[in-house]
Parts: sequence; C-alpha cells; structure tokens
Amino acid sequence: MKTNQRQNASLRELRRPVAGLIRVGTLLGGIGALTTLVPFIGIAELGRALVEPGPLDLAALAVVALIVVAGLGLGWACTGFALWVTHIADHRLQTFLRRALVRKLGRVPLGWYTDKTSGMVRKAVQDDLQDLHHLVAHHDVEFVSAIVLPLGGLAYLCWLDFRLALLAVATLPIYIAAYAWMMRGFADKMVQLDASFARVSAAIVEFVHGISVVKAFGQTGRAHRSYQSAVSDFSERYTGWVRPLLRVEAFSSMALSVPVILLVSLTAGTWFIARGWVSPIELLVELLIAMVIPQTVLTLNQGLTAQRKALAAAQRITALLDESSLPVAAEPQPPRGAEIEFENISFSYDGDRNVLSDVSFSCKPGTVTALVGSSGAGKSTLAKLVPRFHDVTAGRVLLGGVDLRMIAPDVLYRQVGFVLQDVQLVHGSVADNLRLGRLGASDQDMIAAARQAQIHHRIEALPRGYDSVIGEDAVLSGGEAQRLSIARMLLADTPVLILDEATAYADPESEAQIQDALSAVSRGRTVLVIAHRLATITNVDQIIVLDQGRVKQRGTHAELLAADGLYAMMWRSYSNIDPSVACAGVRRVS
Amino acid sequence: MIRDLTTLLGPRHARALRIYLGWLFVFSLLQGAAMVVLVPTLQALLAAHFDRTLFWLLVLAALVAVTCIAHYQQAMKGFALALVVLTTLHDRLGDHVARLPLGWFSSEKIGRLSKSATAGTVMVTNVFAHLLSPVVSSILTPATIAVAMLFFDWRLGLTAILSMPLIYLTHRWSSAWVARTEEQVDAAGVRASNRVIEFARNQEVMRAFGRTTVGYEPLEKAIDDQRIAGGSMLRRTFPRLLASGLSVQLAFTALIGVGVLLAIEGAIDAIELVALLALAARFAGPLAEAAGRSGLLRMAGNDLRRLAAILDEEPLAEPARSTPVTAPGTVEFAGVSFEYQRGAPVLRDLSFRIQPRTMTAIVGASGSGKTTITRLIARFFDVDAGSVRVGGVDVRELSTEDLMAQLSLVMQDVYLFDDTLAANIRVGRLDATDAEVREAARLAGVDEIVQRLPQGWNTPVGEGGTSLSGGERQRVSIARAVLKNAPIVLLDEATAALDPNNQRYIRNTMRILMERSTLLVIAHQLSTVTAAHQILVLDRGCVVEAGTHGELLARHGRYTAFWNERSRAQGWRLVQEVGG
Repeated sequence: MKTNQRQNASLRELRRPVAGLIRVGTLLGGIGALTTLVPFIGIAELGRALVEPGPLDLAALAVVALIVVAGLGLGWACTGFALWVTHIADHRLQTFLRRALVRKLGRVPLGWYTDKTSGMVRKAVQDDLQDLHHLVAHHDVEFVSAIVLPLGGLAYLCWLDFRLALLAVATLPIYIAAYAWMMRGFADKMVQLDASFARVSAAIVEFVHGISVVKAFGQTGRAHRSYQSAVSDFSERYTGWVRPLLRVEAFSSMALSVPVILLVSLTAGTWFIARGWVSPIELLVELLIAMVIPQTVLTLNQGLTAQRKALAAAQRITALLDESSLPVAAEPQPPRGAEIEFENISFSYDGDRNVLSDVSFSCKPGTVTALVGSSGAGKSTLAKLVPRFHDVTAGRVLLGGVDLRMIAPDVLYRQVGFVLQDVQLVHGSVADNLRLGRLGASDQDMIAAARQAQIHHRIEALPRGYDSVIGEDAVLSGGEAQRLSIARMLLADTPVLILDEATAYADPESEAQIQDALSAVSRGRTVLVIAHRLATITNVDQIIVLDQGRVKQRGTHAELLAADGLYAMMWRSYSNIDPSVACAGVRRVS
Repeated sequence: MIRDLTTLLGPRHARALRIYLGWLFVFSLLQGAAMVVLVPTLQALLAAHFDRTLFWLLVLAALVAVTCIAHYQQAMKGFALALVVLTTLHDRLGDHVARLPLGWFSSEKIGRLSKSATAGTVMVTNVFAHLLSPVVSSILTPATIAVAMLFFDWRLGLTAILSMPLIYLTHRWSSAWVARTEEQVDAAGVRASNRVIEFARNQEVMRAFGRTTVGYEPLEKAIDDQRIAGGSMLRRTFPRLLASGLSVQLAFTALIGVGVLLAIEGAIDAIELVALLALAARFAGPLAEAAGRSGLLRMAGNDLRRLAAILDEEPLAEPARSTPVTAPGTVEFAGVSFEYQRGAPVLRDLSFRIQPRTMTAIVGASGSGKTTITRLIARFFDVDAGSVRVGGVDVRELSTEDLMAQLSLVMQDVYLFDDTLAANIRVGRLDATDAEVREAARLAGVDEIVQRLPQGWNTPVGEGGTSLSGGERQRVSIARAVLKNAPIVLLDEATAALDPNNQRYIRNTMRILMERSTLLVIAHQLSTVTAAHQILVLDRGCVVEAGTHGELLARHGRYTAFWNERSRAQGWRLVQEVGG
C-alpha cells in the first residue's frame, strides 16, 4: 500500500509539467466516449421511425440519420484529438525529463558513479522513459473512456427502464467474482514472481556473458544448470500459480463474450417485452450498449498491467532525480594559487571503516608528488579527493588556500585536471574530443597540443584527419586514445594535474610514446601521481608512502631509501622483478 | 508472424499451434454466426412473433453453446502454448546459444540477446495468452457478418464487403507511415539516450572541462533532434491515424446511409433494416478494436522476429565423431587466411608450428592479428582458408569439448560468475580438491586478494559481489588455467602487465605452466619475450620474422626496432634527473 502511495506521488510529481495537456486530453476522451453512444441510440430511434405504422416520416428519418453521422464524426474527432494531445504531452515530458536527468547527472558527486548507478541511468533513459509513455499518452484517456462509456450507457438505460440497465450488466458479476478469486493474494504473488523473474534475468545475463568461460572450461553444463534452475524455478512458480486459474479464466471470460451477452439480453429481453415492461426498440438499445461493455472491461484490465510497469518506472526516475547533488557553497571563493594541502583528512565510503585516516601533506606548485603503496592502501581514493569525487569525512582539502567545498565546481574543474586509467572519448570527431578541453581553441593550439602529446602524426594519418569520427573512421588503440586524452588535458591547461601512472601501460605498443606525453604534461604544474612502478618516480620531488590509509613515510627517493623503512622494502622487492631496475637498462640475452 | 511462432515453439509443438489456430478460426466464425442470428430474432421480436422468437432464441442458445466450447478450447490451447513458451523457450534458447560459435558473441549481440531472452519471452507468452485471439476474432467475426449480410440484403452486404478492403488499405497505409516514422523517432531516441549515457559515463571529462555548467553541445543537439523528430512524427502520423479511424466510421455511416435510402425507396423491409443496422454496429465495433491493437501487434511481431532470428542462427558445425588427438601439445597453422569483414583480411596465408612444452611469444603492433590467432585456435571462428591444427588434428574435426580439453585460455576480459571467489577458481576444473584450488590460487597470487576480502574465500565476487580490479580478475583467470592443467595454454599478457605485483605472479605461473604445457603468449614483458623458445613477429597478418631473441636481434629488422622502443619504455622516469 505504502509503495502504491509513493509511486502515485512520484507519478503526479513527474507529470506535473504536462498536467494541463493531460487534463485536456482526458476531457476530450470522455466526450468522445459519450458520443460513441449517440449512434447506438440513433439506430434505435431510426428503428422507431421505421417500424412505426403508417407512411415514413422522411424528415425525421433524415434528422436522426444526420445526428447519428454527426455523433460518429464527433466521437471520432474527440477520441483522435484526445490521444493527439496526450501524445504531445508525452513527447514534451520526455524532453523535459531528459533535460532534468542531464542537469542532475552533472551535479551529483563524481563518486556516485559506479557500475550500478550507470546501469540505473541506462535503464532510466532507455526503458523507464519508454514505460512512462503508456501512462502519459494512453492511460488517462483510455481509463476515462472505459469508465464514461458504460456509465453513460447505463444511465441512459436507467432512464428508459432500470431493468434494462441491470440486464446490460447481468453477466458482469460472474466475471468480477471470478476475477477477484483469481487475483486473491495477487500482490504477494506478484512480488514473488517479480523476484523470481529478476533471478531469471540475472541468470540469462550471466549465462550469456559467461559463455566464453563456460565453453573454454568445457562446462557448458554448469552455467546451464544455474540458468536452468532459475528458469525452471520461475516457470514452476508461475505455472503453479496460473494453471489452476486458467480454467476459471477461460470460463469466466465467456461471461464477457459477446455471444453470451447477446443470448442473455435477448432471452431476458423477450421476457421483459412479453411482460410489457419494455418495447423491442428499447431492448435494441440495451443490446447495442451491453455488447460494448466487455471491451471496456478488457481495456481497464490491460491498462492495469501497463500502469503497474509505468508506476515502477516513474518511481525509479524520481529516485534518480532526487539524488542529492554535490553541495555548492552559497558564496564561493576563488582559489589563490595552485597549492594542494591535505589537512588531517579522513575518509570513509561507508561511514564505518576509514579508507584514509589523518592524512596531511601538501603539494607545492611546480612539483611532482607521487603516491605509493600496495593496492588497497588508499592511493586512488586520496587522489580523487582533489577533483571532489567525494568530500572528506574529517579535515579539509585546500586548493590555493581555499577549502575545496568553498570553490564553485566549474572554477574547481578549471583548476584541476585529471588523467585516469580509463580514457573517456565521446562519439564525435577527433577535433571535437580535443576541443572538449577548451571550447573554441584555435586549430593551431589544438595541433600544438596533439604534437606535444605525440598523437598529431597518428591523427594526420586518419582518413579524415582531425575530422575523423571516434569509433567510425578513427579506430584508436588504447594507447592512442590515452595520448588523445593527454592532448586534451594539455589544451585545457589546468594548473593542477592528477595522474595515474598506470595510464602509460594501457597499450604496450605505444607505452614509450604515452610516457613521453605524460612527462610533457607534468612540467610546470602541481602534479599528484598515483605510482605503480617505483622506477618511474625516482626523480620526483616528494613521495608519499601510504599504508592502510595512513601516511607511513614521506620524502625523496634517496631520503626514503636511506631511512630503510617500508619504501626501501618495497623498492627491494620491486627491483627483484623489474629487469630494467636490476640491470639499469636492458638485459641483452636471456 | 506465424512462421516466427512456429520457429519459437519448435517442431514438437507445430501441431499444437495449428490446432490452436484452427480452434481460434472456428471460434471467430461461430461468434460471427451467433451475431447473425440476432437478425431473425430481432425481426421476430419487432414483428411480435413470439413463437418465432422462441425458435430463434433456441437456435441462438445452441450456437452460443457451441461457440462457448470453441471459446474454451481456443483459450485453453492458447494458454497451453503460452506455458510451453514460458517453460521451454528459455531452455531452447540456452541450448542453441551454447552451440553458437564464440565469435558470435559481440557485446552488442550479448546486450540484445539478454533483452530478447527476458522481455521477448514474456511478449511471446502474452501473444498466445491475450493478444492473438482478440485480434484474429475481431477481424474474422466482422468478415463473417459481412458475408452473412449478403444473404439478408445484397446491397447492404455488398457495402459491408466493399468497405473491408478500403478499411484494410487505409489502415495499412497509415500503419506503414507510423512504422516508418516510428523508426526515425526511435533512431533519434536511441541517439539521445546514447548521448545521455555518454554524458553520464564521461562525467569526469565533462566536469574536468566544465561541460556540466556551460552545456555539452552534442547532447543538447541530440535531445533537440529527438524533440523535433517526435513533434514531426505526431504531426505527420496523427492525421493518417485519424484517417484510418475515419474509414471504419465511414463504413458504418455508409451502411446506415444505404439502409435509410433503401427504406425511403421502399426497397427493404423496415423491420429487417432495423435488425441489420444492429448487426452493422457489431461489424464496425470490432474492426475499430482490431485497429487499436495493431500497435501492440507490431511490437510483438518485432520481438518475435528478433527471437526467431537468434534461433535461426547457424550453430557451429561439429563433427559427428571427434578425431582422437595424435600429437598432444602441438599447435599448427597451415596457410591460414581469415577476415572478419569481407575485403579486410586479418591473417594472410599464415603458417607456423609450435612444439609441445615450448613457449612461443607473439609480438606485433595492435591490429596485426595477435588476438585473432588465439581466437582461431579456440575456434571462436572458422578459418577462411588453410587449417588450424591442435594436437595434430584440424580443430573442425574436434568436438567443442575435446578441443577445449586441450586448451586453457587466459584472455584480457575475464568473466567472473556471481559466486564465491573459490567457486570462480574451481570453474577451471570442477572435480578439483580444495587443496588443489588453494594451490592454484597461491601460484596465481589469488591468496593475496583473499586476505583483503571480508569473507575470504567465500566472498561473493562478480556481478553482485565485491568487484575485483582488472589485474586481480586476471589472476583468477590464471588460477583457473593452472587448475585446469590443459596441454596448451593461450595467454594474453597485456592487462596483466599493469601491476608489478601481477607481473611477479604471472612470471611464477608461467614457469610452472611451461613445465607441463605448451605456452602461446601474446607478449608484452621483455622478460617474457626473451624467455621464449620461439618469437613470432606479426605484421598485418603475416609472420615477418621468427626465431629466438638472439637470432632476431642479430637480424636488425622489425624485431630489433620493437625491442629498442620497448626498452626505452622500461627505462622511463616521469621526471628526468636535473641535468641528466
């Protein structure tokens, strides 16, 4: 029940921007449904005029015929335009919601983005917005029509004779009773079935994605088993629930079938006529109205399923739109300089276990600071605090003497650039991707950056040079993509740079060139680098050794080696495996 | 659509489908016939002939009874087919997909397959349970009525019959338009969605370069394009949909008009006309309903076609009987040519031979065909010319199981099942003892990961569990290979090289694997290359140089250039020494 209320509230909220249009559509739909009755009544009136003894009243006939035609026309126009209006509403809402989502996506903390949340975004824009379609464009119009048409018809029949109205819905209770019986425990069953079906979906995904492993290890049976067990669990549950109901549904739907209604109405109607309660013409009206009632019931019934889906979709979209944005200072301050300072910062993802504890150090402009430590020591987390992927739990991070939280996000991002392991290229030309770094950069600047990043010649060699489209005629290797992103970084020219040294190993073939590009980009900035191979950072200004989220040691390579602590130990074990360190260059022969 | 349904149900249920369709047909005709009896009954009633009314009521009752039987039959047969789909389609899809060549599974195909298998099956179920029957009967029943009208009054009957093709044609005309514009709108929608997803996925870049505040133009444009495409679709299709709706109303109007004119002319009995007009209402109503369902039907048809297309996909041809392996541990390429796309050969007339228990390193630029070689050995694809022999036998002469029994694969993308870490390693060999699993894990450095995980060996990893880094995933993959202990190991070193820790483990395991297996490595580390018994230098799908490290260096060719560049990378310092 609670979920329902919440879902309905989400839906109202979502539809607010187009509520007016939907109301207009609903009103038109209602009118359209009512006018559907006109031809039925008109046929009866024609009949009355026709069977009346004596010469035909041609004028009356013509008037009735015209009214029937006008009713048909009006009903057609109203229903048609009602749907037109609601489709326009749906169309506007889709655009509105897409823009709202985009605004929200640009404001949540970067740390919010994970595989799971990307999945949510994908589902929201691909499926959920689609699912809303029925609710906005069809539901209200069809629902109101399906209510107004039988009610209007029954009201007219009541006016003729209440017994006719009763006759028109005589078989309905059978269907309703059967339906209620079938739907008992529906909510619980649906929850179970949904859960079971979710397992099937997961099993399918796993089966399909894992197929290469499964085949490679000759275990097609294994994936099959978990897949099969999810599938058979679902189909057992489903058939177990549905099978006993099928007979009931097949029988009860007869109560709503036109031939049965025809038989009941004609038989009882004949009796009514024999008793003198109604005239044959009145019975004719009853017949025509009674025969359209089943369709409206089916419409209501089918609408429910689509509505359930749409409500769930609406709730997911609202949840996404309700994500809390990165807090922005009311009166932001500009950073004064490019020095980064960590002041006694602690950070925890879950609010329980600290990933970083009491970390303090600073990075002076024009120097390179390297973060080292085993995996899980907190290197990446620490580096990502600077571009505010997350906010610290205690202490503060300062840029140019100002707390990051006091700096306007766009100002911050103009100061802090980052080159991380996964390259992000958008679907567009190479130039588009480079110019993301600086909108409106001149061709000259762009090419200069590309040259510095060692990628200019590769771009020139593409079929359309800088106009080649990524993924179409610009198919780049991992290393080339890295160099492109480094060129973009150079174009953006931010004073602070966060680097992941592993970037350089993205592509063995171009490793040396990426390294050159990275060295170029590091010059003259405040650089914080996540280091993996100790050899690459022996000349940096400062090395911070992290261990379990704490700063264990700090100093230059020489100082740390002399201190003979954790770093010296790491260096020794590292030298053992890296031939370039052990042999100071190249080992010639195996 | 019926053909797709037959494919989806499989040959075993083709007869059941025909029987169902037969009952549906009979039911629709009977329903029409029952409706037609309305005419004589009403005539009798209006003429106040109670005896005749009673007779026709009895006829109607009999007809309705038969109709009910037909209704029950078609409903139950439809449900039964729906359940067949629900219980067997997943299995059939699973069995079929498992027999497709591995090369078939591109990421795009995988996405579509998951979607079809989940949403598509539900849709097919729905077709049998709730969709087909109303659509078929709301077309056949009016048709029956139209034919019957001929017998009462040929002019009204003719009007009804003539209006049917007109209604059909306008409907087809408008829905063709809808389908066409829908395609454009869908395409615009997909583009806009992709841009939103891209925007989300590339948030780091978007923010790093301020695109979240000043706007990201391609995204704005895509959303705008979608708005425009949708708007123009509404403008263009609605008049046509309205026209299609109008055709039904016009048919009804024509019947009334012709009827009234006939009455005025005195060419028809007034009472008969009233009864026929009532029937005319039941002629038009269902047709309008059928038109209303056509959108759903079209969607269902698309789902069916996609599913049927998967089942129609040709499975990997396997020999009836696997040829026994004659030279375990050998791999041989003899004049192999292969292309993914016509006209773009990836391997050209490639020949080499790998001796048992030796290590071969493949080096070459990206796109030179290194990965393709490993894929052909594992028969992700079949060669276009020449042959690939594993254990002395052409891979096409081996069953998938027998081929895979010869091979262990350690590739770049490692799939982890949504299961515990231990179970993910045991995938390598199901009957391995716990001790063997631990030993393999230790060699591959997985035990180091275990220490970090909250529930140790029993920590769920993969989709729903703790995520492992790329390097860690590869260690799991190596542990699987060690556990499997196959005669031939194919290893792609690239991502493993990211992490110096990984490097150490890879080196350890390679040493052990080399003692008992043939190793083929797509090499990245210089130490791997130098340790190889044979180095194949690949360039644009051809082996340009082959030999040991010493032999190749002496040649001062392609390999020497490669070696120098890689050596330079090894000596890199982020910051050069001052003055150095």
